[in-house]
Amino acid sequence: MAVPIVMPKFGQMTEESTIVEWFKKEGDPVVKGDLLFAVETDKSVMEVESFEEGTLIKIAVKPGTSVPVQSIVGFLGTPGEPIPEVPKPAAAPKPAAAAPAIAPAAKQKVAAAPSPSALAVATIATPPAQFRISPRAQALARESVIDPTRIKGSGPEGRVVEKDVKAYLAAKGYGRLRVSPSAKRLAAKEQLDLLSIPTKDGRIGVVDVERAAAEKPVPMTKIRQIIAERLSHSVVTAPHYYVTVEADMTELVAYRAALKKAGTIFSLTDFIAFAVVLTLKEFPQFNSATDGQTTRWKSRVHLGLAVSVDQGLMVPVVWNADELTMTEFSTLSKALIEKARAGKLSPDEMNGSTFTISNMGMLDVENFTGIINPGEAAILAVSSVIDKPVARDGAVVIRSIMKMTLSSDHRLIDGASAARFMNAIKTRLEDLETWKPLT
Amino acid sequence: METFDVVVIGAGPGGYPAAIRAAQLGASVAIIEKDAFGGTCLNFGCIPTKALIAAADLFARIQHAEALGIIVKDAYVDYAAMSAHKNRVVAKLQGAVKTLLTANNVRQFTGTASFKDRNTIAINDDLTIGAKKVIVATGSTSVMPEYLPKSPNIVESRAFLDFDHLPKSMIVLGGGYIGCEMACMAALLGVKVTVVELLDDILQLVDADARREVRTNMEKNLGIHILTGAALEDITAERGGVQGRVGNETIFAELLLSAVGRKPVTEGLHLEAAGLAANRNGFIDTDDYCRTKVATIFAIGDVTGKVQLAHYATAQAIAAAENAVNAKPRKHETLVPNVIFTAPEIGTVGLGEDEAARRGRAIKTGKFRFAGLGKALAAGETIGFVKWVGDAETGQLLGATAVGPHATELIASATTAIRSEQTAQELTRTVLAHPTFSESWMEAALALLGEGIHALPRKKQAD
Repeated sequence: MAVPIVMPKFGQMTEESTIVEWFKKEGDPVVKGDLLFAVETDKSVMEVESFEEGTLIKIAVKPGTSVPVQSIVGFLGTPGEPIPEVPKPAAAPKPAAAAPAIAPAAKQKVAAAPSPSALAVATIATPPAQFRISPRAQALARESVIDPTRIKGSGPEGRVVEKDVKAYLAAKGYGRLRVSPSAKRLAAKEQLDLLSIPTKDGRIGVVDVERAAAEKPVPMTKIRQIIAERLSHSVVTAPHYYVTVEADMTELVAYRAALKKAGTIFSLTDFIAFAVVLTLKEFPQFNSATDGQTTRWKSRVHLGLAVSVDQGLMVPVVWNADELTMTEFSTLSKALIEKARAGKLSPDEMNGSTFTISNMGMLDVENFTGIINPGEAAILAVSSVIDKPVARDGAVVIRSIMKMTLSSDHRLIDGASAARFMNAIKTRLEDLETWKPLT
Repeated sequence: METFDVVVIGAGPGGYPAAIRAAQLGASVAIIEKDAFGGTCLNFGCIPTKALIAAADLFARIQHAEALGIIVKDAYVDYAAMSAHKNRVVAKLQGAVKTLLTANNVRQFTGTASFKDRNTIAINDDLTIGAKKVIVATGSTSVMPEYLPKSPNIVESRAFLDFDHLPKSMIVLGGGYIGCEMACMAALLGVKVTVVELLDDILQLVDADARREVRTNMEKNLGIHILTGAALEDITAERGGVQGRVGNETIFAELLLSAVGRKPVTEGLHLEAAGLAANRNGFIDTDDYCRTKVATIFAIGDVTGKVQLAHYATAQAIAAAENAVNAKPRKHETLVPNVIFTAPEIGTVGLGEDEAARRGRAIKTGKFRFAGLGKALAAGETIGFVKWVGDAETGQLLGATAVGPHATELIASATTAIRSEQTAQELTRTVLAHPTFSESWMEAALALLGEGIHALPRKKQAD
């Protein structure tokens, strides 16, 4: 008896997911624990294991297709047995009206055919349903390796007929093109319109087609699309402004080294993040959100830590950071960052942050600014610790200096508050008395 | 001090065409040669070897003429006369090079060039000339491995070509194309030849099927003893011969010809005075426009360490000369045929089957053997084949190999087809004359598409 394989539900908020890749082919045997397929949710990429045994007799959902959670995506069974009909997945329900400050859940927004004007190279698009063309015209277009959907048809209801294609080719100077036989076949294979391939003297060689093929638009991964949408949304809706301070890290760096020598290991990020947590308790407006009409204070500090990973940016969240000791915080954040790098964060581990830190200290930068995560009031950008000459007591000395820049949402926070908030963090980092009892 | 627009250092197959092309474009040009005008190719390489190989080939055909009904009695080789023929050819061509240079108003200097700075060149330390642009075309020379004893019975190819007699037996150290050409030539003229190659097979530059074809003929028909995968060790030179050991086998011959490779010539050039330096392997690095890292200095040919072939140097020469004189830069060509005058001959161009496999490129191949070709049967020359390598999806012709009679000529039409980006489909629609060797390209293209007319259908392979 065929057993359906269903799309699991990842996390509270996930309504639909996309199969990125099947690890098994139809006909492959499957045992419990085998990886079946990879799924991209609106937050991350996950691998799905089989809980059953049998043969994969049907793949119902092809890679790249987004389906609602709990839909049937395939069947396990014994080879040769009849395959049950797959019910059409119901339309994905509208994303639930979640916490108002969270950006709307990303919807698939990949354009089926990119608009020609925006791109140097046109691909031969799958014709829209209402596009009409005669078989002879279609054959001539295919033979010429051009996109017939760009041709205005003179037949009934705008149907493109052979003479339209001929006129179009003549008007575009197709006859002047000198396309090498290999280039023509390659263009056909790559679905490129020969008329759109740039040429100086009418010659089109394999190199020209390869270059055009390499420039074809490639859909972004879903995770990148989500990042893109959320960042754009934030920049458009939250008026950002920036306040930078320098912290003298000389003593803290030495203190950390001494602790390490004694066997207690904290990262510099631990100190900075914990200084932020302590300061957020003092300045609650930085731990809030606005939709432009209302403000909402968050009673807990859930600290997001931006981590760069192969596929983009992940922000694991240390929940209830305000309740943790420094050691607990350090252990938890380290584990989360490792999980993020391995692509193994669960959706709930990257949800719900109330304030975010982006640390580029290890990337040797002087200073940078962050874009506020939607639903938060500010983001702190932490740069590298750099030895610099500075004035102390009327003399120039070399100190380890670190710049931090806060991006704030001006709807919630005014400049003077940001200045006070930043200086409070700076003071904590520079005062070892803060840390001695905590470490 | 006299100053020229372009000074070319070296008058080989790279240098002299560069000088002529620059002169054609209106530049004042000087060329400096320390040895012989025409370079290695004309004096000690391509041309003299081909003079000898052509003679050896004719001798072999005379010996086999009986199969075609021609009886030649008492044919024998007068090597001194053969060598004199070779010398006449070389002298004639050398004269022609000088005539061409003079006719194009290229000033010729004989001597060793060395940079004083990037725009000043000393010739033999007694004359200094100025150069707005310099093209370095100093070429390469045979490597004599250090471990070989010094002996008149141990020579490299240049000295070997100077002989007016052949030894009774010889060891060829190195199974590359120079070693194999010399081995075949000598064997055809009756010398007992042993080839020793350290790598697993001879002629590693060409595809395995072509290697197999040539090696079989060299061993079976020419009686050449080929030892691969082991070094020649314990080499001693005594009066009357050279002895060595390969694995467990002791070999002895009257002469040892070293053909283990060539090294670039930059000695005495004082590149550092011009702000240049040879790379780790002794070559001068250049880009696709033949530019070195010094803006006014170009380099071409063997000294650049790209492909060490005369015609490649010439192709680079034309680009370098144009780039030195004109403002509009042009890349040199990169599709370079390779011809090897073994018995049978080999011609290759473009992507090889083995190389495609190494790169993981999806290809299809189509082969046609001369044994199935009317003209080959008629001429009594049925060894060998032609082979296309094409893109698996588009059928673009990417590479070709020819082995057998006229292979070095046959490769020309394949080169033209690949350069003009022809597909296997186009080639099958090209009418080639019957009966010729050339029509086998069309058959091979059909074979690539699985549509061969004069070949048995391929059996469907069971998966």
